[in-house]
Parts: sequence; C-alpha cells; structure tokens
Amino acid sequence: MPDTTGNYTGPPPVARSPITTVAAGRGDGALTLTDESSYGKLLVRAAATGPMATALGTRFGRTSRDAGDEALVVGSGPGEWLLLADVAELPKLTEWLEQQAEADPDLVSIVDATHGRAMMRLTGHAAADVLAKLCAVDLSDTFVPDGGAFRSSVTKLVTDVVRDDAGGASTGDRPSYLLHCERSSGQYLWEAVADAGLEYGLTTTAAPT
Amino acid sequence: MMLLRCPWCGPRNVTEFRYVGEKTSRPDPATTTPTQWRTYLYTRANVFGWTVETWYHSTGCRQHFSVERHTLSNRTRPVQENS
Ligand SMILES: [Zn+2]
Repeated sequence: MPDTTGNYTGPPPVARSPITTVAAGRGDGALTLTDESSYGKLLVRAAATGPMATALGTRFGRTSRDAGDEALVVGSGPGEWLLLADVAELPKLTEWLEQQAEADPDLVSIVDATHGRAMMRLTGHAAADVLAKLCAVDLSDTFVPDGGAFRSSVTKLVTDVVRDDAGGASTGDRPSYLLHCERSSGQYLWEAVADAGLEYGLTTTAAPT
Repeated sequence: MMLLRCPWCGPRNVTEFRYVGEKTSRPDPATTTPTQWRTYLYTRANVFGWTVETWYHSTGCRQHFSVERHTLSNRTRPVQENS
C-alpha cells in the first residue's frame, strides 16, 4: 500500500513462477530443464553505441558478465539489453544503471520485468538437438557459440535464446541455453520443450520454493 | 520456405516477419493536395519484377527494414544503391 509520499510500504512483493505444472521428464540428469523464472530481469533500452552501451559492455547477439557483480548482460536487440541477476542484486544493479543513464545524452529506459517474464534453462549435450525441433535457427557453434544470443520463434513463440554454458556451472562442458519469454506463455514453452526433450531422456526440475 | 535476410539477424524464415508494403515516401501534410495524399495512402505500383519493400521483423529484432523482392520469383536482395 502506498503511503502519503507515494512509496510502497507493504510487504515485499512475492515473485511466483508462471510454470506451475512440472510434469514428465525423469531421465538420468544428462539433459535437464530447470525453471529459472525467479531470476531478476531488467530490460534496458539505449542508443546502440552510446555511453550506456559501452558500460554494459556487449552488443546485439552477444552476452557479457562484466557489468555489475554476477549479472549476465544479454544484447537482446539493437539498442536493447536484458540483464539477468539474483533478485537480491537488483537494487544495487538498478542504481548502477541509473548512474550510467545520467551520463548518456540519449533516452535510456530501465524496466524491471522480473514478474512479467518466464525463464528456463536447458542443459546437456542434446540441448541443441531439442531446440532444433522447435526453432529454425542454426545452433551450431559457428552461429551460436557460448556467449551468443538471439531472438526468434521457438515453438511459434517469440523467445530470447541465450547460450550460457558457464551458468549451468555444475554441468561441466555441456552447452546450456536460457529461454526467456512472456510470463503468460511460460507454461506453454515449458511443456513444448519438455515434450521435445522426452526422446532424449530429459529431466525436469521445478523452481526452488 | 521463403528466406528473408534481416540486416540485423541474418536469414530467417519469412513467417518471422510482417509485410508492411511497397516503400513509399510520405508527402508533407502541410502542402499536399487531397489527391496526392490519397495516392500516397492507397495507390501502389504493383510492379512485375524487382520492387523495394518494407518489412518488420516481429519475431526477432523488432526493426523495420527495406529489402528488394522480385515479385515473380520471390528472390530477395539488399536494396540497390540506385533504386
Ligand atoms: Zn531481425
């Protein structure tokens, strides 16, 4: 509830994953699908070559971990970035972004989309084979290496696909993809990926509660 | 499948795009006549051959861009300098 100054004074907002049904998928763990919707997600728009772009340290189609502590910066579009970080890091990260925005003469927008998006991680040697069933983009190392990102139609849904092998830390050298979409389509994307992965022995893991 | 080359994203299935139309130039609303304005809004050349078109990459980078398309073969190419 806002107080007289307009500031929110109630209990902290609760982020719930839109992926509520985690069916199927009891493989041996070599190929996993994990709900990572609870990650903090900031959308930044700024000039593609201005001071903000320099501070974020990456461009359309590539990722970086240089900005802020532990934040994964994804160049999700021309002049458009998606920042992924632990929710607890968001206030610090937002403050840092606002400082950078002040130095940019062009319009900069920073939007917290944590509650509005779904995100999942697909990890394993067969991950690209699973995605290839749902998406027409060539996922070979030449076009989508570790640290690569693109937006395309995945199972006819607009999806940001981010290859982030290191983020699947406990997984060794296996490729790992983050899939990020609108919240209302999260359950659909989850079920489509889980279904596509069945023949490869996919293991699904719900969001930690 | 028809491939369209987005200048930002590279070649993608045409189903990722929305067709906007023939590239037209907007007359100045302050000086245009009703006839010129109507021509700008509704009249198209509808050529047989190469034509410059605007497309929107709705499932990818969400940018508008121009591309040349051959209306018979559906082949596409970047916009030529003199067109
Ligand atoms: Zn594009």
